[in-house]
Amino acid sequence: MNSPEPYDDLEAELLALGDLVDVPGPPPSDVAAAVRARLEPTTPNPPAELPRKVHREAKKRRGPARRARRPAGRRARWKVVAAVVVAVLAVTAATPQGRAAVTTILRLAGIEVEIGDTPPEPVTTRTPLPAERTVSPADLPELVGFAVRTPSRLGEPQRVTVADQGRVVSMYWPGGVRLDQFSGTVGPYFYKQLGPPWPDHVMVGAYDAWWLPGEHPLGYIRRQDGTHVPLRQAASTLIWQQGTLNYRLEGAGDVDEAVAVATSLG
Amino acid sequence: MDDDEAIARSLTGDLAAYEALVTRYSALAHRTAVMLGAGDEAQDVVQEAFVKAFRHLGSFRRDAPFRPWLLRIVANETHTLTRSRGRRSELALRLGATAETAAPDDPEGAAVGADRRTRLLAAVRDLPERERQAVVCRYFLQLTEAETAQVLGLPVGTVKSSTHRGLARLRKGVGNELA
Repeated sequence: MNSPEPYDDLEAELLALGDLVDVPGPPPSDVAAAVRARLEPTTPNPPAELPRKVHREAKKRRGPARRARRPAGRRARWKVVAAVVVAVLAVTAATPQGRAAVTTILRLAGIEVEIGDTPPEPVTTRTPLPAERTVSPADLPELVGFAVRTPSRLGEPQRVTVADQGRVVSMYWPGGVRLDQFSGTVGPYFYKQLGPPWPDHVMVGAYDAWWLPGEHPLGYIRRQDGTHVPLRQAASTLIWQQGTLNYRLEGAGDVDEAVAVATSLG
Repeated sequence: MDDDEAIARSLTGDLAAYEALVTRYSALAHRTAVMLGAGDEAQDVVQEAFVKAFRHLGSFRRDAPFRPWLLRIVANETHTLTRSRGRRSELALRLGATAETAAPDDPEGAAVGADRRTRLLAAVRDLPERERQAVVCRYFLQLTEAETAQVLGLPVGTVKSSTHRGLARLRKGVGNELA
């Protein structure tokens, strides 16, 4: 080995280099909100009470199946809270943090829409849904607690993902077309911010639907202080509800084409 | 709320307390995941690690520091990820903008310094995995030898020797011209 002198300098150099290395991460409050969203459904079990065996079994199942574990308690909760809320109008006075720009909050098909009097700032970043991952369509029945359907008008999706412990299934087609399906009306909802005009009411077969024209910020979970974590800027979207299932179809063209795609849901 | 209180409250299922803990350690966890080779998937690794940490919180020894215990989980998650990708973990780091303006009065010296830093970083990247991880933990994450041993799941002696070998290799590769 060489003399210790340069050795110490190298260590100092490495320490200084470490300080200069840029590792940009997401805002800590967004990470915390995402982690909380994933822990939320299992909170009735304090962590210490999880039996050891479960850990070992979960460890053995590497890969996609590993995250699919859904405690029975959650399923029960879905049933209990499967009450359907369609188009509840909650007018402004109750808006938290006195955000004056928000004039109206609409809850449509499991999606909370904030309508302000001016167009909202666009979101320039893209964040995936909590724990979103690509899956094989054949595995969906095992991973998701509701029947997943595909619109025949679009054909087979290019990619299918499951997010947030089987709560949300997303299908993607070329050209930025995306269909999200999610069960129940329990939060977290999707959140959308719109300026005027208000969403248009249209029909998808026998079901009420709303057309949200134009690009708008989309969110999914809230931070501890109640503000939304933005996911990305969404394209024009059609949202509707069939039974206890909610759908949002994004980027499928104009309202007529979106309704045609929605009606073809098999 | 200090770590111990946040952990005590988290153990009773208080998610707001755990959220505070996640907020506190999120940046360090992210940095650790990236430095240990999680690359683009660091965000996913960090989320998964915090979810696991919450579920295993009952096994955390309350008289021990939380930081290395958490980073061990982050390191394990990163390891699982890189192994599932079936290849060597990658260290995709770049120097921040501040690196270029470290010596504004001396542009020539700054340029030489920047070049040296770039080469040193590349040399760290090319170290054998164990040596690289020891060097990264000790100097880039500024962990002690004992913490490094806990985070990497290695005996302290192995951390010492891996660090030593890694430093020797770096010195040989990058040289001592500025040292």
